[in-house]
Amino acid sequence: MNDPYQVLGVPETATDEEIKRAYRELARKYHPDNYHDNPLADLAQEKMKEINAAYEEVTKSRSGGGNRTGGAGGGYGGYPGGGAYQSYGRQSSSSVLQQVRLAINTGDLSRAEALLANYSDHSAEWNFLRGAVCYRRGWMDEAKRYYQTACQMEPSSAEYRQALEFMERGTQTAYRPGESPFGTEVCGGNPCLTMCCLYSLCNGGYCFFC
Amino acid sequence: MFGYVRPPVGILPQEETERFRRMYCGLCHTLALRYGAPARYILNYDFTYLAILLTKGEARERSGRCPASPLRQRSYLETDEALALAADESVILAYWQLQDGVADHGALRGLKYRGGCAMLSKAYRKAAAARPAFDESTRRQLRLLAELEDQRCPSMDRAADAFATLLGGAAGEVDDPIRRRVVEQVLYHLGRWVYLVDAADDLKKDAASGNYNPVALRFGLTDGHWTAESRGEFAATLDHSVHMMATAFELWDFGVWTPILQETFYTGLFHVGKAVLDGTFHTLPSVKQRKKCKNGEETA
Repeated sequence: MNDPYQVLGVPETATDEEIKRAYRELARKYHPDNYHDNPLADLAQEKMKEINAAYEEVTKSRSGGGNRTGGAGGGYGGYPGGGAYQSYGRQSSSSVLQQVRLAINTGDLSRAEALLANYSDHSAEWNFLRGAVCYRRGWMDEAKRYYQTACQMEPSSAEYRQALEFMERGTQTAYRPGESPFGTEVCGGNPCLTMCCLYSLCNGGYCFFC
Repeated sequence: MFGYVRPPVGILPQEETERFRRMYCGLCHTLALRYGAPARYILNYDFTYLAILLTKGEARERSGRCPASPLRQRSYLETDEALALAADESVILAYWQLQDGVADHGALRGLKYRGGCAMLSKAYRKAAAARPAFDESTRRQLRLLAELEDQRCPSMDRAADAFATLLGGAAGEVDDPIRRRVVEQVLYHLGRWVYLVDAADDLKKDAASGNYNPVALRFGLTDGHWTAESRGEFAATLDHSVHMMATAFELWDFGVWTPILQETFYTGLFHVGKAVLDGTFHTLPSVKQRKKCKNGEETA
């Protein structure tokens, strides 16, 4: 295993408080919520495991050493090794749709798509799963529209509503370093950030590429 | 299509801007070295980002004079495997972009594109021979895109997917399988974002000319103006793509390039997107603003 301090991105001389802060920041970054339905969620999960193990090791060695007081415990408590990153575990109404869920979970989107294409009953669940496939493919707009249809057909389903809310809420809860908001409509919109770079890289524009 | 991804110069510390410039100059030198001086003309920030995403670390530095800086020696990154790959892929992308321009414009207005193609054709043949898989996928995706545009495809995701997949293909030659997945995801959503932002930028122009515009079709915008609701929805879909880029970026250690990429994915793209939606993207900042920006950099 890698050096736990390196994993947490802190020097060995860091205080317990600094370690806790670094851990919390990393846990926020790789949190399952930040990788909700993300095709790279498996990598985030691995990262999270590594961070949890490193944090545990550091806190254990520090409390065992007895040199420091205060304890670094009380972090996020570690995320369980499975389930949290995947959200298509629900029992389906048909065996075909169950297979679609399985295919989505294993990342086999082509199979999921083929199964959905051959399934004639375009029920709420069918629309929801189409949306899930679209989202993973990066077809964000279509995903939202399928989720909308699923919700209209079956408004009582918490699973469909949650998916639609996630699309509509956009990325307000997405991780970003620091505290500033994440989004096109909420950024400051400094005009210098877009055009000034044309003037700066080549020191005043005597470069004909700019 | 290119020109929307830019380093957030006002925000980045001077040191990072310099690092970006070294890569920019490195790519320029690599293009000249592999394809002759005319290939330098295709250089842009988008291709510099491609080089950053493909590079395995900071290559060795050199300094020298060049046509843009004939008197003063400037440092730049020496050609390595990743820069060569980025240069080859840039030539292929630029060539097909020019071909697209030839097809889209009449005999007279297409002249400059024709000239560009003629100038690049030798370079393109060499690049295509070096990276046949990327050339093949680029051609396939552009054919698909042209078909979708001909059919006036109403799905903006489908149209954007053709371009996004094309750009994602640039990660095909990355060795490490995890890194390949990460870079492919970043490039896919960068491509999607660029395609959609480009379409949003052309809203008014396309409304006047009647040209195909997937964003206008999706939201039913006939006069080139946003409604508050459609603008919000469109910004949200852009943000989802930026979020995908940011989450992918966090899963690989990009070493010295981390600060530049971080500012781009968490700040820079939002500012460009907002400027395009506000219609201020092509407005040059005032001399005062430019000075302020420049002075800010010098004192940073």
